[in-house]
Amino acid sequence: MVIQTPNGFTLDNSGKRVVVDPVTRIEGHMRCEVNVDENNTITNAVSTGTMWRGLEVILKGRDPRDAWAFTERICGVCTGTHALTSVRAVEDALGIEIPDNANSIRNIMQLNLQIHDHIVHFYHLHALDWVNPINALRADPKATSELQQAVSPAHPLSSPGYFRDIQNRLKAFVESGQLGIFKNGYWDNPAYLLPPEADLMATTHYLEALDLQKDIAKIHTIFGGKNPHPNWLVGGVPCPINVHSTGAVGAINMERLNLVSSIIDKCIEFNKNVYLPDVIAIGGFYKNWLYGGGLSSQACLAYGDIPEHSNDFSPEQLYLPRGAITNGDLSVVHDVDVRDPEQIQEFVDHSWYDYGEPGKGLHPWDGVTDAKFELGANMKGTRTNIEQIDEAAKYSWIKAPRWRGHAMEVGPLARYVVGYASGHDEITDQVNGLLRTMDLPVDALFSTLGRTAARALESEYCGRLQKYFFDKLVANIKAGDESTANVAKWEPSTWPTSTKGVGMTEAPRGALGHWVHISEGRIENYQCVVPTTWNGSPRDSQGNIGAFEAALMNTKMERPEEPVEILRTLHSFDPCLACSTH
Amino acid sequence: MSLSTEADTVLTNDATDQDIATITRRTSVYVYEAPVRLWHWINALAIIVLIVTGYLIGSPPPSMQIAEATHQFVFGYIRFAHFAAGMIMTVGFFGRIYWAFVGNHHSKQMFLLPFWKATWWTEVWHEIKWYAFLENTPKKYVGHNPLAQIAMFFFMTIGMTFMIVTGFALYAEGIGQGSWQDAIFGPLRDWIGNSQVLHQIHHLGMWFILIFMMIHIYAAIREDIMSRQSMVSTMISGTRTFKDDKVD
Amino acid sequence: MSQIETFYDVMRRQGITRRSFMKYCSLTAAALGLGPSFVPKIAHAMETKPRTPVIWINGLECTCCSESFIRGAHPLAKDVVLSMISLDYSHVLMAAAGEAAEAALEEAIEKYKGNYILAVEGNPPLNEDGMFCINAGKPFVEQLRHVAKDAKAIISWGACASYGCVQAAKPNPTQATPVHKVIKDKPIIKVPGCPPIAEVMTGVITYMLTFDRLPELDRQGRPAMFYGQRIHDKCYRRPHFDAGQFVEHWDDENARKGYCLYKVGCKGPTTYNACSTVRWNEGTSFPIQSGHGCIGCSEDGFWDQGSFYNRVTDLTQFGVEANADQVGMAAAGVVGGGIALHAAVSALKSAQKKSQDHVSENEEA
Ligand code: HEM
Ligand code: HEM
Ligand code: NFV
Ligand code: SF4
Ligand code: SF4
Ligand code: F3S
Ligand SMILES: [Mg+2]
Repeated sequence: MVIQTPNGFTLDNSGKRVVVDPVTRIEGHMRCEVNVDENNTITNAVSTGTMWRGLEVILKGRDPRDAWAFTERICGVCTGTHALTSVRAVEDALGIEIPDNANSIRNIMQLNLQIHDHIVHFYHLHALDWVNPINALRADPKATSELQQAVSPAHPLSSPGYFRDIQNRLKAFVESGQLGIFKNGYWDNPAYLLPPEADLMATTHYLEALDLQKDIAKIHTIFGGKNPHPNWLVGGVPCPINVHSTGAVGAINMERLNLVSSIIDKCIEFNKNVYLPDVIAIGGFYKNWLYGGGLSSQACLAYGDIPEHSNDFSPEQLYLPRGAITNGDLSVVHDVDVRDPEQIQEFVDHSWYDYGEPGKGLHPWDGVTDAKFELGANMKGTRTNIEQIDEAAKYSWIKAPRWRGHAMEVGPLARYVVGYASGHDEITDQVNGLLRTMDLPVDALFSTLGRTAARALESEYCGRLQKYFFDKLVANIKAGDESTANVAKWEPSTWPTSTKGVGMTEAPRGALGHWVHISEGRIENYQCVVPTTWNGSPRDSQGNIGAFEAALMNTKMERPEEPVEILRTLHSFDPCLACSTH
Repeated sequence: MSLSTEADTVLTNDATDQDIATITRRTSVYVYEAPVRLWHWINALAIIVLIVTGYLIGSPPPSMQIAEATHQFVFGYIRFAHFAAGMIMTVGFFGRIYWAFVGNHHSKQMFLLPFWKATWWTEVWHEIKWYAFLENTPKKYVGHNPLAQIAMFFFMTIGMTFMIVTGFALYAEGIGQGSWQDAIFGPLRDWIGNSQVLHQIHHLGMWFILIFMMIHIYAAIREDIMSRQSMVSTMISGTRTFKDDKVD
Repeated sequence: MSQIETFYDVMRRQGITRRSFMKYCSLTAAALGLGPSFVPKIAHAMETKPRTPVIWINGLECTCCSESFIRGAHPLAKDVVLSMISLDYSHVLMAAAGEAAEAALEEAIEKYKGNYILAVEGNPPLNEDGMFCINAGKPFVEQLRHVAKDAKAIISWGACASYGCVQAAKPNPTQATPVHKVIKDKPIIKVPGCPPIAEVMTGVITYMLTFDRLPELDRQGRPAMFYGQRIHDKCYRRPHFDAGQFVEHWDDENARKGYCLYKVGCKGPTTYNACSTVRWNEGTSFPIQSGHGCIGCSEDGFWDQGSFYNRVTDLTQFGVEANADQVGMAAAGVVGGGIALHAAVSALKSAQKKSQDHVSENEEA
């Protein structure tokens, strides 16, 4: 059957059906089904979120000051971003203004998450789609060393001996016959294009990044006590500052600040010397693999984040841009108002939830989460052994959020497209610089690799912003301000009987919003619309497909039974399924 | 009004023939032996300390700066007083149980409700009516009146056992795994699952005990005034004196 | 398992020298809190014991246990994965997906029957026939049962696998169920925490490799070495607790001096974990050190104990949204009022009676 979707895709489910379940190297549980034609080109794509926990149901009736801890557990990978969104939502509802230091510390933590998450994503969740560690065994360590020095002269770990040691370790690992996480990889697939030296270099950086990420996360530990899942506070941050006086052991003091500063420097170094050069080097070999653009050239959404001043979320005060692009028109960046009931709505016609009537869209303040698992008549298999999903019916635990009816892509690429279209200086410079270095046209951005590259650029930008806010924090302390929390409205007796609020962040994977309704000191309703809810959304009542599905369309696969291409494109979004369904 | 001479037709809860003989002579009966009285007042004191310190453990007094932290032991002393009073109460309770075996038969009242005795129920009903102002004349009792006996049993025998068991389960956490306290009471904590719950039910128990105290002291004083026998002085001297010579 | 190489073989073949191997052993000894005399013992164990296959499966969870695991500093996550264990199945890290991934799982089960460790992150939901968590088209609980069948032992990672965690918080819409309530015939080691500390996770694994036995477990099934004491028992703010010096509200003078967080709801006194000693992220800090109370994240049902910021918490286990003091004070108020009323009526009645007696006395006279 051939279907034309309102957002411009031609779906044909007549060819061979390929099922990937579980989709691995993601957070959470996901299934993907595609149809391929006789040329092994994808003609229909179905993405299914296969888990649901019910956080929105569980939050009802709770103390809103506790909500951050619950929502933080939506995800341990983008740990903290839900917590920040939650405290913002509650502060918005209660009219709480946070001190400047709290704003700087929150920004540092949020930027730190971006960097951490992007690096872990690229090296540990995404790299194996492009890099073949088995092929690295054939590399000449000396040539690898030369390659390393060519792509990144400043990186100190580049001697032939260093690469030989790693290669030996890898060789021994492979020869032991216990391949562990590399077992059953698609290592013979012709889709892998890197020469052995690049494979060795990238595999080495896989290990370097694994060591580094544990240090990056320490910024969360300093301000929030642990990572994953640092602690947050409605009204500010829980860590007091005491740099001058006695008893500062438990507070943020000079030693703590020095540790933060040294980690910020490490992030900047790694982005500059390893992450960006790797993306450019690896990308260079895959320059002609330009699949996966999907919605990115059509419809992008960003809420913006990283406010310069506390309590001021107006777009011109944000370092990460806000705006919406629709119908592929990059000349207009629309304003986004998350409070407007007409703008953001969630649909459940193809999701395992019930609104009581079909075709209905609900703004999150009026959102309903009522689980209902049922499979379509044309599915294959049984209720507890699904062989093929029926996408004409309900088929995912993910709801379908829409902005003025449009399916939108969110995430680093969406932010960069919005930033580029709105003339954001930093972003424009970065994008133009990259395109020039790689000798690519702007259109190349709208692709799987563009998504991966935008993430790397963003990591680099966030590294610099992290330093900016650190300096700002120190300057403010120097000016005599040590305050970190506003407790004027801590007690529920100071709250209005009924109030609503919304919190927004730019999570690593994209625009994140929490909408809360507080009544008599308790949560009356709590709704999260999460980046992967946008990207991984199933079809809506109008038949629009979501960003994952759109990006998979028209991709040519080398061997349909070895879904490297599917993994590449899905991974380029950094899917987080626990987030998407929550 | 005629005097009955047959003891078994007289309703005065646990009174013996001898007691009845005594009542009819309008004299006094020796009810609470010295160990019981001693226990009563020590126990009362311990419980007051436990309630005050226990409340403060849940809601500590405002912070103060008296000395350097390791030498300023304010909250430590509050907790110490709680544990010390808890130990005293526990030892006393065991002593009281021992006395129930060796002491006079009034000493057993607190531990056993004679719910198999029809006459006892009649007296319960009578006592309820007396407290509900539906009965004009109170009855005489040598030991506890049946309603008091019920209160003693539920609030004290059961209530104190509950506080001791949960208190020691909490105490075992501080002493640590491997201690005898942990060996005996630790499984309770594990069965409950989360020590926070243990704290909360122990805390709730405080109010249970406090409510008993309120009723108990009120009833003791009221009965002293309105009933036909002595009350407060009985717990001091041990002897119950009666205000008239009617039997029941 | 004789066909499997020893841990030492693997390390040697991977170009690790005897010297750094010994250094690794002494670090392991230190991490486990053992003295230097244990180093040769650990080395011997490593030299003679095979690399242990580990199958890591995920149910309803947030992946923070995996994330925590890769934060491991001693040993480093890369050394664990490359040299200490054979991680034969892990959704988060494995290269293969779909059928190839499931095939890797089946091969590992087949090859190491009875000898692999099953690590479970998250838990199975039982409502909707288990379809709140689907793997390869089937309920996750099926995968759990299938892999557990031939496992040597099970590690329940985190609060999810151990107790149910956030998805099992009231009203637990999916009926998320901890592992030990589904698998009853295997030794299960609970390593709770939301998430557990990385070095505690690797400490448990290295203990099993080193001493070739399960760690000593407490009555709740947690390794006694890491979960035997409360945060509060070893908290560095304890002197302030004993002194009665508390943070009264956020960011006050006392907070800046690092006083005890008891009054702002710290659950350290009711939480068994190693945070105040091992600390987090290579010993960098832990919740209390960074100014927020412990929320009790390694305790059963910590989500349902009322607000994280209350010391005397709501009696939610009885379905009451009030704490013991509120319930008790209300009850005491009612009783007190009752007593006052009763006393008043009593006084009235006896006055009445007296005047009646008086009247009758007069009449008699
Ligand atoms: C009538 C008897 C008792 C009363 C009214 C009482 C009352 C209390 C109260 C209100 C608390 C505070 C609970 C909280 O909110 O965390 C407490 C804590 C405690 N009680 Fe008792 N208690 C009694 C008997 C005992 C006994 C017999 C022991 C045994 C030694 C005991 C040991 C403890 C312990 C260990 C704590 C916890 C202290 C801490 O966490 O620092 N209590 N008690
Ligand atoms: C914490 C405070 C108190 C507690 C827990 C307490 C507990 C008890 C108990 C358990 C008994 C039964 C004794 C037995 O059968 O062995 C008793 C009897 C008695 N108590 Fe208390 N008591 C307290 C305070 C007081 C006070 C302040 C008074 C005096 C005003 C008092 C007067 C009496 C009297 C008169 C009896 C004897 C009742 C009777 O004859 O039925 N008590 N008390
Ligand atoms: N999608 C998503 Fe998250 C992110 N980034 C959050 O909001 O990953 Ni778990
Ligand atoms: S135990 Fe906590 S940290 Fe671990 S997966 Fe569950 S929610 Fe995440
Ligand atoms: S901060 Fe928490 S754990 Fe530390 S002493 Fe105070 S109550 Fe105990
Ligand atoms: S909240 Fe969790 S991390 Fe440790 S200090 Fe408490 S157990
Ligand atoms: Mg939602």
